[in-house]
Amino acid sequence: TMSGSFYFVIVGHHDNPVFEMEFLPPGKAESKDDHRHLNQFIAHAALDLVDENMWLSNNIKDCALIFSHMRFIMLHDVRQEDGIKNFFTDVYDLYIK
Amino acid sequence: MELKESSLYTATTPWFESYRETFLQSMPASDHEFLNHYLACMLVASSGEAEPMEQFSKLSQEQHRIQHNSDYSYPKWFIPNTLKYYVLLHDVTSGDEQRAESIYEEMKQKYGTQGCYLLKINSRAPNRASDEQIPDPWSQYLQKNSIQHQESYEDGPCTMTSNKNSDSNLLSLDGLDNEIKVDGLPNSFRVHPLQLDQCGDPPNTDGSDHTKSASVRENKKASTGVIRGACLTLTDHDRIRQFIQEFTFRGLLPHIEKTIRQLNDQEMAAVSAFLQPGAPRPYPAHYMDTAIQTYRDICKNMVLAERCVLLSAEILKSQSKYSEAAALLIRLTSEDSDLRSALLLEQAAHCFINMKSPMVRKYAFHMILAGHRFSKAGQKKHALRCYCQAMQVYKGKGWSLAEDHINFTIGRQSYTLRQLDNAVSAFRHILINESKQSAAQQGAFLREYLYVYKNVNQLSPDGPLPQLPLPYINSSATRVFFGHDRRPADGEKQAATHISLDQEYDSESSQQWRELEEHVVAVANKGIIPSSFYPTQYCLNSYSDNSRFPLAVVEEPITVEVAFRNPLKVPLLLSDLSLLWKFQPKDVNGKDIERARERARLKLFPHHIGELHILGVVYNLGTIQGSVTVDGIGALPGCHTGKHSLSMSVRGRQDLEIQGPRLNNTKEEKTSVKYGPDRRLDPVVTEEMPLLEVFFIHFPTGLLCGEIRKAYVEFVNVSKCPLTGLKVVSKRPEFFTFGVNTAALTPLSPSTSENCSAYKTVVTGSPSAGTALVSSASSVDFGTSTGQQLEAIPVPLPDSVLLPGASVQLPMWLRGPDEEGVHEINFLFYYESVKKQPKRRHRILRHTAVICTSRSLNVRATVCRSNSLEDEEGRGGNMLVFVDVENTNTSEAGVKEFHMVQVSSSSKHWQLHKSVNISENKDAKLASREKGKFCFKAVRCKQNEAAVQSSEKYTFADIIFGNEQIISSASPCADFFYRSLSSELKKPQDLLSAHTEKHGAEEAVRLIQKCSEVDLNLVILWKAYVVEDNKQLILEGQHHVVLRTVGKEAFSQSQKQADVDVIVDLRHKTTSPEALDTHGSFTWLGQTQYKLQLRSEESRSLQLKACFVHTGVYNLGTPRVFAKLSDQVTEFETSQQNSMPALIIINNA
Repeated sequence: TMSGSFYFVIVGHHDNPVFEMEFLPPGKAESKDDHRHLNQFIAHAALDLVDENMWLSNNIKDCALIFSHMRFIMLHDVRQEDGIKNFFTDVYDLYIK
Repeated sequence: MELKESSLYTATTPWFESYRETFLQSMPASDHEFLNHYLACMLVASSGEAEPMEQFSKLSQEQHRIQHNSDYSYPKWFIPNTLKYYVLLHDVTSGDEQRAESIYEEMKQKYGTQGCYLLKINSRAPNRASDEQIPDPWSQYLQKNSIQHQESYEDGPCTMTSNKNSDSNLLSLDGLDNEIKVDGLPNSFRVHPLQLDQCGDPPNTDGSDHTKSASVRENKKASTGVIRGACLTLTDHDRIRQFIQEFTFRGLLPHIEKTIRQLNDQEMAAVSAFLQPGAPRPYPAHYMDTAIQTYRDICKNMVLAERCVLLSAEILKSQSKYSEAAALLIRLTSEDSDLRSALLLEQAAHCFINMKSPMVRKYAFHMILAGHRFSKAGQKKHALRCYCQAMQVYKGKGWSLAEDHINFTIGRQSYTLRQLDNAVSAFRHILINESKQSAAQQGAFLREYLYVYKNVNQLSPDGPLPQLPLPYINSSATRVFFGHDRRPADGEKQAATHISLDQEYDSESSQQWRELEEHVVAVANKGIIPSSFYPTQYCLNSYSDNSRFPLAVVEEPITVEVAFRNPLKVPLLLSDLSLLWKFQPKDVNGKDIERARERARLKLFPHHIGELHILGVVYNLGTIQGSVTVDGIGALPGCHTGKHSLSMSVRGRQDLEIQGPRLNNTKEEKTSVKYGPDRRLDPVVTEEMPLLEVFFIHFPTGLLCGEIRKAYVEFVNVSKCPLTGLKVVSKRPEFFTFGVNTAALTPLSPSTSENCSAYKTVVTGSPSAGTALVSSASSVDFGTSTGQQLEAIPVPLPDSVLLPGASVQLPMWLRGPDEEGVHEINFLFYYESVKKQPKRRHRILRHTAVICTSRSLNVRATVCRSNSLEDEEGRGGNMLVFVDVENTNTSEAGVKEFHMVQVSSSSKHWQLHKSVNISENKDAKLASREKGKFCFKAVRCKQNEAAVQSSEKYTFADIIFGNEQIISSASPCADFFYRSLSSELKKPQDLLSAHTEKHGAEEAVRLIQKCSEVDLNLVILWKAYVVEDNKQLILEGQHHVVLRTVGKEAFSQSQKQADVDVIVDLRHKTTSPEALDTHGSFTWLGQTQYKLQLRSEESRSLQLKACFVHTGVYNLGTPRVFAKLSDQVTEFETSQQNSMPALIIINNA
């Protein structure tokens, strides 16, 4: 039951994306190609904030978990705190396995 | 921070400083504040003036009038009571110093010591030729002024002429005025009404002044290149500096301090709080924030807000509050001005990187944003710079979409700035970066790249072809083949398989070929492999030894196979592909392409000897036309989509550089990473060599085991050199023979030999009633004398030379291998040039024959002594030979029946004498699965004959069942016999040597064994009637049995050698009726189950103990025996139970 667009990325030690995933609302089959790079730009820039252990609240919201210097970042355009929190918990569980 | 060290990062942004300054200067002064309001007015008069004091009061009045008269809305004055500072300017070279001093005294009295100054300058004459070079002190200010002047004509009131000073003096004032303003409070951009060089109506000046000022202005305009301050000396410079200090600290600052505290404007207060050194309270940033917010949101005055931001940011930066400064700058960006936003974003980016722990990623992000806005504002160079700087951070981290975007923008901007090389390299990065873009996007990138690349090429059409990034070339997978392509099969003629690029590399087989070549070379060189020898390599690949320069032969093609890989999702069109090479003299023709998937094969024909170096490939790279439509990216100017893409193709090259294997021999090589050379692509073209082609005619693909078939081999010398020393070597010499003295035997051409027997036959008048026909032959004649491991069989060429262009067809007999199945048989043909060549002595040609054999006959034979049968001549030592022949053919091959046609013996000491009929099988026919038994009497060879026989002389005795004798001592029968014998001899030799090593106690056994040794070899010749395609064919063949020991069975083919796992189970009570017949039961003692492994021909005995309680008859044959092959899973119970019962009778004790 996701309505907004989501972009999830796991970032490695050298600021390199290890895993990327886009979640799109059911209506939108494909995200516009010319916008896909923006996700990367924003996620990458957010690393500075993540490393400062900060949360940025804006139109697009970044959530992050830091674990053994692997960073999980999620970009989303709608507010859905609980869903994202649960998602991170699941990802974290999977990751430590 | 590595970024800071990089050349692309610029710590300073002079364009921004200049923007800021221009912005502040160009700002109109506002009513609500006092920025750009004048604090003071400097009144200057020359000491050369007739009445300086009068001038001062005149100027003072004028100032007062301008400030307080409502006619002037401009300039703005800070406070009603403006500080007036009186300066007497004295020209040292021309003025009267005493007079100046006295006037100054007068001034001090009138205006106070702190309100006036005597400035002495121009200590030397304007001597242009002087060597003393003092920099023009006004230059940096004048430049700015000239900008101001351009725009200031439109508005502003007019100049007030001050005095009658010389031009340079006036200018000096101008400059100083500016200098004061530089530290902190910038000056108005607008024209100062007191400024000399302005047109308009000076309201209160006399006519002479007016004209003078006008002429001065024109003079100045006309002489912008004039060197200013030429009359100044270093002393003057010091004086000026001193004057400024005096003015600032004694005059201006005390004055301001007196007045400024009255002001409560927040912005001003904040600025002043900052300006006050050592202020007790911290900088009140929130004043600024409030001010900015008010300006922006309430006053809607962006200009004021911006000024406020610029000021505040500078202040915050100076206090290392970069984060706050950045936030401030970013907050001011908006949609309405791209240029302003770009500049501010860039400054924000710089703030991020200047932080104590630099925020590199935010820096990069804001640089991208800045670049984007610069680009929208049409500032291409700035945009390009921003993107390039951001790229430093993103590079190589794996954010490929982001990287692609940056590279794309860099490429575009570089292109529009005509930095074509940079454009090409940026687009190139997008394409080679394992792009994650969609196919459509990749197609667009590719077209854009091709377009830019084409433009670069057009600039220097005669330059060297540039490197293309696509497709990838897997250099190490490059293969090089020397020689012509294999000819396709031509009817019955089948060319030797040789080597081709279509064959996959197989290390096992290449090792086999190498051994064969070494062997034949050793044979050709009297058993010694020359030290200069190395194996011929026709095909070089990543597995071959590429450490030396390969040899190519002139007039023989060199084929280079290049392995391409397209990393994109869109197809790439390569055309006009050819090799790039370097060769010392004259012409070599590079030629055409033959494309196999992603591999291209290119050929070179060397026409001269020398050293060739294959450097790379040249090709046109293009897109498949009309496959993808260009999407949102948009095309470059001039690169319109659609039709344009059809012809989009560019020419370029790629080098082939192959890294050799890593060296790991010496200590130095082990500790460092060093690579050896790979010379695959650097062949040495040598003189002409003979070139042999071999064709096989009537060569079968399927044979019965033991079948003899005659085929023909055609040898053609396709070169211009005669060849000689032709030999063939194979690991399976028993498979084929060229025969001995065959010329007389059979028709030489394949066409006439059809339907003829492969054997040499003689029709005998009447059946010889089972008596042997005797002949003899020496094994030496058949080239198998010593039982050497591998033979090099000379090909019986007439005169042992094959002349250029000549061809010869020779018969070749084949015998189907004894084991059923598929056999790959390798032939290696060896030949030499008649003319000895230094570089390469020999050449080779390979052929692999694939033969599928199916079961035919199985022959078992034993020999035993016969004392009852007397030799006709009364000598003892007769023997009986029993031969069992079984048709094991499964009739899949269409074999109807086998006919035994002849049994021959071959031995140095024994011979078959006659047939003894023990069965009714007179015509010796064997249908499927039938067995036939034959018995022959064997005798010793005639003694006298044997005496003269050399040790290699064999006596052949043929017992024929029909009316046609196959001469077993001639080709091909004897050939195959000798070959099978020599391969048979190889095996028992090991056994014997193993025996001799045993100690002397077994000597007696050896003697007894010696007595029962016999050397009788049998050749069983047969015909098979086969129906194939409704036609009856007669096939012929022969089997060999080597009899060595009296009483021991021997087989026509070696029995399967395998390990067998055996389980002996005693526990299992049999339920067979025999068991029930016995009275009672008995018990096995001890272990009841045994597991053992039996090697081939091994026998083991088990000791079993049983306990019998009652008397009676017992069957001990109750144990069940299971066996299976060690490498198989299925177990079989042996037929032990069906054998005779082992009965034991237990009596009463």
